[in-house]
Amino acid sequence: MSKPTPLLPESDAREAALFFVVAALCFLAVLATLTARGTYTAAEAWSAQVEGQMTVRVENTDRRGAEEAATAVRDLEGIKSASVLSEEELDRLLTPSFGPGGVPDGVPLPMLIAVETTLQSPATPDDINKVLEEAGFTAVTEAHADYAAEARRALGTLRIAAIGVVVLLAATAIAVIAFATHAALLARKDIVDVLHLAGAEDSFIARLFERRFWTLGLKAGAAGSVAALAVTAMVIFSAQSAGARSQLLPQLSLDFWDFAILAITPVAAGLAARVAAGGTVNHSLKAVL
Amino acid sequence: MNRFVPDMSDEPSVELNGVSLHYDTSDEILTDINVRLKPGSFTFLTGASGAGKSSLLKLLYLAHAPSQGEVRLFGLPTMTLSRKQLSALRRRIGVVFQDFRLLEHLSAFENVALPLRVSGKKEETYREEVVDLLRWVGLGERIHALPPAMSGGEQQRLSIARALINKPDLLIADEPTGNVDPEMGRRIFRLFVELNRRLNTTIIIATHDLGLIREFDAPVLQLQNGLMVHGHEEQAAR
Repeated sequence: MSKPTPLLPESDAREAALFFVVAALCFLAVLATLTARGTYTAAEAWSAQVEGQMTVRVENTDRRGAEEAATAVRDLEGIKSASVLSEEELDRLLTPSFGPGGVPDGVPLPMLIAVETTLQSPATPDDINKVLEEAGFTAVTEAHADYAAEARRALGTLRIAAIGVVVLLAATAIAVIAFATHAALLARKDIVDVLHLAGAEDSFIARLFERRFWTLGLKAGAAGSVAALAVTAMVIFSAQSAGARSQLLPQLSLDFWDFAILAITPVAAGLAARVAAGGTVNHSLKAVL
Repeated sequence: MNRFVPDMSDEPSVELNGVSLHYDTSDEILTDINVRLKPGSFTFLTGASGAGKSSLLKLLYLAHAPSQGEVRLFGLPTMTLSRKQLSALRRRIGVVFQDFRLLEHLSAFENVALPLRVSGKKEETYREEVVDLLRWVGLGERIHALPPAMSGGEQQRLSIARALINKPDLLIADEPTGNVDPEMGRRIFRLFVELNRRLNTTIIIATHDLGLIREFDAPVLQLQNGLMVHGHEEQAAR
């Protein structure tokens, strides 16, 4: 016994166009999600790295005085380590400004102490300034976390924007599918009428369209996901190639949740298409007896 | 319920009480129609083009609701039924259209089986029945043919087979001979008469083929400008 012919005819050019639109929307949604996640993850890693780090600039002193100041800081409670930056380390820090040739001779370099606080009850910049003042030094302490907090705020906004983009793309996809289903319903009104008059219940007719659009959404979502994966892989590959000079890009990679997003997108697209199609068909059928 | 058993109840198969119809802002298409058709009756519905024949039939096969009045089928008030009940009621009605309304991508077999398929039956339960019916309407050799590859007469017989496969209690035909030659028209009418006699199916046929009406000598309802001008009394069973 052969498989029965589908009651809705095979897909036509309209459905091919819809496939492309849904695939493109899924591609953009996945890309927006992965970009937001990747950026946020990189920023979180960077924040965690700089959390607890401080730089102390000791003024009007030489290296010996700076070493004494570092010892005073080390003795403070809540300090894990404190060490004066060597000339090589300062050179490396200033390379972006002076180039690979290093700092020219004669340029006065500040005495900087790199401080790392403990995780539990860390010392504050004020604690360090106070102890150095008591020891007779003039010093300014900056917590790196202050910069990280600003970056986190900016990335928080980016995340909200990315969520907004994903929601907008999802809503657009649902609206497009609902519109396409309505058009398909009108285009196949003759078939729907015959099914209706043959005694088909609304749910039976809706299921035909739901199945058709579930498959379409699933396939289009998979195509969009695969395209987004390809683009993301290219971005990661480029980032890793340029990684030697970058602080953030080398941290880009795909983790379990990224793959979960890639896997879930086709299912979500299929479900959205199915729900949009079912709702549209049921609504349209209720308009007739 | 075995549909081969005649409906012996006193309830008319069709009852229209004070039915009027108009579409949105249009003038009234049907005005104050009162009709009662007994189970097993065979009735012609006639009238000039635009008299309202197709609109009246649409009310009977539940494609439209009346603007006013009441349509009762098999004693059931159609306006108060749920959508599920309406679907179930439609399965008791077979409809033959002038333009056939066959699904062109389905084979003859699948077109005839459509009402059974939509009611959730499996092919193995109806295969033989469909093939028998196709043979009965003279399409035994065309089971796998697609409608576009069939002649007008074959398509009309196919649409009749589709209307009959559920062994309907009521068969409605809208100009069933409009697209076939006179000889094929007579064969189709003989098919309807045989069906009426064998299954006691209530049949109402819209036609303006006066020759056929005279030849088959059945009660006639006549519409003129949306008014029933002849035969609005209760139609007797043949």
